[in-house]
Amino acid sequence: MRRGSIVALLGLALIAAGIATAVALLPTWLPVDASREAGRIDFTFWFVIAICIGIFAVVAAVMAYAVLHFRVREDDFEDGPPIHGHTGLEITWTAIPFVLVTAIAIVSGIVLSRNDAEAGNTLRINVTAQQFTWTFGYPDAHDATSPVLRIPEGRSIELDMRSLDVIHAFFVPEFRTNEDIVPGLVTTIHVTPDRVGTFPLICNELCGLGHSTMRSEAIVMKPAAFAAWLKQQGKSAAPAPPSTTSTTTTSTSTTSTSTTPSGSSAAGLSVFNANSCSSCHTLTAAKATGTIGPDLDKLVSYAQQAHQPLAAFVHESIVNPNAYVQPGYPKGLMPQNFGTSISKPQIDALVTFLVQSAQKTGKQGKG
Amino acid sequence: MTESVTTTATAHDVHHAPSPTGGSGWRLLYRAGWIRAFWMTLLFAGIGFGLVVLVRWSGHWHPIIDTQPLVLISALVSAPIGFLAGIGAFDYWSYYALGYPTRAEDHSGHGARSWRDYFRVNTDHKVIGVQYLVTTIFFFLAGGLLALLVRAELAKPGDQYFEPQTYNGLFSVHASLMIFLFIIPAFAGLANFVVPLMLGAADMAFPRLNALSFWLLPIAGVMMLSSFIVGAFAGGWTGYAPLNSDHQPLGAIFFNQGVQWAGASSIMTALNFLVTIITMRAPGMTFWRLPLLVWANFTTSLLVVIATPFIAGSQFFSMFDHVMHTSFFNPVGGGYPLGYQHIFWFYSHPAVYIMMLPGFGIMSEVIAVFSRKPIFGYRLMALSLMAIVVLGFSVWAHHMFTSGMSSWLRVPMMITTLLIAVPTGIKIFSWLATLWEGKLHLRTPMLFALGFLSMFVIGGLSGVMLGAVPIDIHVTDTYFIVAHIHYVLFGGSVFTIFAGIYYWFPKMTGRMYDERLGKLHFWLTFVGFNLTFFPMHILGTEGMIRRVADYPPRFEDMNMFISLASFGLGASVIVFLYNMITSWRFGEIAPANPWRAMTLEWQVTSPPPTFNFDEIPQVVGSPYEYGVPGAQHAVLAPSKAREMEEVPV
Repeated sequence: MRRGSIVALLGLALIAAGIATAVALLPTWLPVDASREAGRIDFTFWFVIAICIGIFAVVAAVMAYAVLHFRVREDDFEDGPPIHGHTGLEITWTAIPFVLVTAIAIVSGIVLSRNDAEAGNTLRINVTAQQFTWTFGYPDAHDATSPVLRIPEGRSIELDMRSLDVIHAFFVPEFRTNEDIVPGLVTTIHVTPDRVGTFPLICNELCGLGHSTMRSEAIVMKPAAFAAWLKQQGKSAAPAPPSTTSTTTTSTSTTSTSTTPSGSSAAGLSVFNANSCSSCHTLTAAKATGTIGPDLDKLVSYAQQAHQPLAAFVHESIVNPNAYVQPGYPKGLMPQNFGTSISKPQIDALVTFLVQSAQKTGKQGKG
Repeated sequence: MTESVTTTATAHDVHHAPSPTGGSGWRLLYRAGWIRAFWMTLLFAGIGFGLVVLVRWSGHWHPIIDTQPLVLISALVSAPIGFLAGIGAFDYWSYYALGYPTRAEDHSGHGARSWRDYFRVNTDHKVIGVQYLVTTIFFFLAGGLLALLVRAELAKPGDQYFEPQTYNGLFSVHASLMIFLFIIPAFAGLANFVVPLMLGAADMAFPRLNALSFWLLPIAGVMMLSSFIVGAFAGGWTGYAPLNSDHQPLGAIFFNQGVQWAGASSIMTALNFLVTIITMRAPGMTFWRLPLLVWANFTTSLLVVIATPFIAGSQFFSMFDHVMHTSFFNPVGGGYPLGYQHIFWFYSHPAVYIMMLPGFGIMSEVIAVFSRKPIFGYRLMALSLMAIVVLGFSVWAHHMFTSGMSSWLRVPMMITTLLIAVPTGIKIFSWLATLWEGKLHLRTPMLFALGFLSMFVIGGLSGVMLGAVPIDIHVTDTYFIVAHIHYVLFGGSVFTIFAGIYYWFPKMTGRMYDERLGKLHFWLTFVGFNLTFFPMHILGTEGMIRRVADYPPRFEDMNMFISLASFGLGASVIVFLYNMITSWRFGEIAPANPWRAMTLEWQVTSPPPTFNFDEIPQVVGSPYEYGVPGAQHAVLAPSKAREMEEVPV
């Protein structure tokens, strides 16, 4: 190979590497990192990206050079030199990728074992996923539950995750954590949050029609604030204090262990919110706009179609949803365990709330 | 062996059966064809319906008319059998079964004399190849339209046009059509046309099985598309249990059964290729003289034969859970949901190579011919295909790094996954070395080949990233995966399919395609493809998950951009279709060998004679001896060739 072509090839490789590096650095690729594990995962990411840029530059340079220099006119009937191979080259390009992927495997293996390592003083939290809601239970606080995940900064957290129906997945991009939640199994995640804030908590395994609404939040709190919150949950007396870091609309909801004064529509509304009814249903009184399940503003007419008294119809539709399914909606979509997962007084409050708001919208419609 | 091939081939210039047109009304009703297919489909659907009702009635099962088993047995199992029998796929075998005398040298169903012959059961591999390609391009268009509907919905956050059931159906059917009815069978179609010609054979080893394999495909495609009528299967093309085996409308079993028909088609074709390649090579065609396209289809067929029965099993079990309430994957009855994923991916990872290796074969042909150089490192190219086959069976759980499977499995599966980069790298570097110092003719097939090379490198590198478990943990099930799979399957497989179609278009149709339109198609596809799919990498790492109709507003701008680009990419297909249709009809008459290629299919007329070769050719050397003075791959008059044979066979 002539010296000129080596220089040209190097130049092209530098240009390709420059473009690839710009693409790697200019856009924001990764969200802010909020856990110790995230830092190690990001290191692996950039380590592999660097190798990829190198390989891409070599391939792009050779291709660009070939197209620029070896292109011939249509009427050129000559053949190229009959080169059949070159053992040395072939060994080289078998060996170099082998070394590179071995390096990637070693780095990944080390990161993986560090991220999975058990830490002392681990806080255990039970995660329950179902179509299309999350429940987080705190064994340290008499199994108090919360619809959002609240965790303290700087402490190792173990999430023990169970699914009640299909496969879901726990994904918090800022933590770089992701694990499926499989019915019949308990899967675990270890994470050590190191940044106070509120982060989206997403189900990222297709779990049915409401999959895109199955979202909650992971709220990382200062340890003292968390301890205070947990203590309050443990007493299971009062609703959670509004968190300063939280921007969520569901943060004012009660926990399912707290008792609610039955009959009040405010209590019914909080049950409605705590169980994420709004991800699937429309209900003006709760400012809910879900479209996966039936429109709860039309409950009066649904009950008429089902030939049942309104309150009894609403109650049965919650505890035994498949008994009557409004035409146009698939059977089996509504979770079938609300009869057991929500306490009796809460169900009563919810039914009262739904009946009242349905009658109200019904009247407005007529007036 | 070689002798018997020679004699059958030369004996093939026999009388064709009387032309199938004409005949009285009653004969039309009974003769194999569309009319018989129509009434036999209805008849068999009725038989299936009756059987289910009879069994339920006699067993006192209520309700007697139950939709699920009725639709399954009558519409998805027995009606397709009726269709196949009616169209005539079983006619010849029925003669055996009913004890009629068989007609050993009956070629009435062989070859095409008019366009009508493409619409009936035909045993000519060249006709079947074209049937495959036209059918798969139809489903490519259907699947592409579904993708554009998905992009329309995703242009803005929130729900726009589709309710969740339909939206989830759109992306599920899009993927299933593209995988099972476009990429896999389009490669089978190209290979069907080319492989027997490259081997110097008169046809495939089992022409009637070949015809049956093709006619299974439209059944699978119609089944998947029509699932929209009964509530589309909405569990994604992966069909994970228990979501897809329990919580879905009727469309789920349309997917289960559609995969069975398409899978059966693949398996039969693969067996046919294996037997053809092993037993029907022309004299002198040793394994080390096989064109790399043949090597690629040989290795692909091994993968299909070994792996496809696994997806068949997984879909049967999933369907049993759904319809018969068994508990293979339902934890309530003691089933194991991850079992589905292990079986599914034990097929579906090798399936990635089923969708890649034939494209590698096309690459080797196109790059060698348009660089006017021998393929660099031929033997290592063939061996690396075998290495991919072997390694391909040891990596399936890399789709399950975050599935909740035993965590010890992650590191070994990561190592095997990363190792696949080595044989794949060998192929890429060898193609680059083939380009080096060549005489490059940038015709449309070559442009698509170079496009493949650059896009597949990006897809391969993002594959290495995904192979590293820590990175996979963060990006799995996000748009990063969507970007990766499209760089591999669109930038990879689809680009090679286009390269192959343009490359063999003159041979298939006897006419040249329009070069300017071909180049326009390439550039529109290349630019549209990158604008559509590259930004998805960024969306994914930022945390936008896949398979959702709704997403946080901060991703809006990029999604709008992607949607607009995707419509441009969709429009590029119009250029392709226009070029294909007008060139097929009015294009310039193609010479036998417009590319000055050495492989055997270019040594016969365009299109080739019905039985390919007047005399079985004698192979005397490697298929890629470009630039070697006086080198020949084969001689078509064997009497002269014997003297030129260097290596005794």
